[in-house]
Parts: sequence; structure tokens; C-alpha cells
Amino acid sequence: MFSYAILRSKLPSTTRLWTPMVRLLTSTSNSTNVPLFDMENPFEKEKRKCILCQHNVIPNYKNVKLLSQFQSPYTGRIYGKHITGLCAEKQAQVELEISKAQKSGLMAVYLKEPCFIKDPKLFDSENPIRPHRFE
Amino acid sequence: MITHELMLLYRVMPKPELVTTLKRTAETLFSRGGIIRKLENLGTRDIPFKISAHGVVYKQASYYVFTFNVPPIAIKDLLDEFERDVDIIRRKIFKQNSPEFKECTLHEELQPAPYRKSVQELIAQARKLDKPKFNYNTGLDYYPFQK
Ligand SMILES: [Zn+2]
Repeated sequence: MFSYAILRSKLPSTTRLWTPMVRLLTSTSNSTNVPLFDMENPFEKEKRKCILCQHNVIPNYKNVKLLSQFQSPYTGRIYGKHITGLCAEKQAQVELEISKAQKSGLMAVYLKEPCFIKDPKLFDSENPIRPHRFE
Repeated sequence: MITHELMLLYRVMPKPELVTTLKRTAETLFSRGGIIRKLENLGTRDIPFKISAHGVVYKQASYYVFTFNVPPIAIKDLLDEFERDVDIIRRKIFKQNSPEFKECTLHEELQPAPYRKSVQELIAQARKLDKPKFNYNTGLDYYPFQK
């Protein structure tokens, strides 16, 4: 009894040990007193899509303006999936089309062409999804 | 039937000369049993990097794209023929992209590692390398005799 009293006194006064949500979920016909969780997950997150899938864009090697948005303005390096935020399929497509554009002399390799420098940014290259060693 | 795209960089030349060069390219395609579907002019502009072809360094080029069908066996001959053309700086033949669209998988890729399909496949593959464990086949979960 003594230890119980101490425990109670430690709890903040606003803490509710029993919430009415549990009663809502319990079925009245269920005699075993076990809650039935047959509802859909109410905390299910909305399905995310990458920027190219959102706008139904198919990358093409002739569209250099789009492709150069995935290129670093400092080194001409192609940003990885963890920076561009594309799905695996689209990232592979973009990389393939960039390689085709560079081979056919449409797109620069060691730099981003100056005419594309001021294009809007599709992603923040400073804040990748996962950490990387190219700071 | 595979539709191909021929990406050509011509050296900068006056118009009548360019016309004859384009005709020559088209006739090469026809001579191999090809059909031209489309001819696109992507303009004359600076090349992003200098290209050396036939002993000359080029910094400007006229970009043209031929969309065509040709028997697949002729592709190698075509590239060989264009390589010997002194007016062509660079030539590339690509397959035309298919316009089909797949569902985005970004949501599944952003799941924690054990929920990702690629990781699950890796784990399953690693389990295959586990050494087999001896089984007594007694139907009991303990050893019935004295060890
Ligand atoms: Zn996607």
C-alpha cells in the first residue's frame, strides 16, 4: 500500500491511465474482452511519388534542359538517388539518357552548361535523404 | 520492328552543301533497305566540348536526328559508312524510347530496411548459405535418450 501511494504521487495529475478510445474499439458481442482491430490503419501515410512520376515525365536524351537539372553545377557529376529523390526506375532512366546525351555531343560532361545554371532547382543538393561522402 | 534514331553532328557548312550532305545520308539509309520516318533539325550551335574528327578540331556543329527503320543487320554497316563521311563529326544510333509508364515505387523504397523487398531478397539469399542443422526426426522437441 505504501509503495502504491508513492507511485501515484509521482504521476502528474493530468495523466489518464485509461482512455475511452479502447472502449470504442471493443466489440460488444466479444465476450473475451479482447479488442477487435478490424479497422484500417488510421495512421497510414499517403503514398509518395517522385517528381517525374507526379508529372508523367519520360526523360529523353534530346531534352538537355531537363537532364542538366540533375547535374552538379560545380563538377558536372550526376547526383545520386539519395539526392534527387527519384524512384529507382526513373533514376536509372535519367542516368541512361544523360549518358546518351553526352555521347551524342548534346550535353556537357565536366560542367553544367552556363545557360542552364539559373534553372529552378528540383531538389536540395545540400540536404540528401541519406548522408553521403561528397560534402 | 525497332525504330531507331540516328543522331548526327554535321560540320557547319553553307546551305546548298548541307542539303547535298543530308541527301547523301538519306540515300545511305535507303540503300540499306531503310525507311525514314522523321527528320528533325536541332539547330546549329556550339558543342559543349571540342571534338576532333578526321584530323580537324570542331567547336560548332549542326545537329540532325533521323528517325528510321532499317533491318538490324544493317546498323553496323551504316555506322561504318557514316564514320567515313568527312562532313559528319559524330554519329550515334539509339533505339527509340517506348512511351509506356510504370507505377512509382518511391514509397516502397523509403520504407525502413527490413520492409524493403530488395533487403528481404538479400536476407533470403544469405539464409541459403546457412549450414544444415541435424534433425533427429523423432517428432519430439527433446532428446528422449540419455546423452
Ligand atoms: Zn517515380
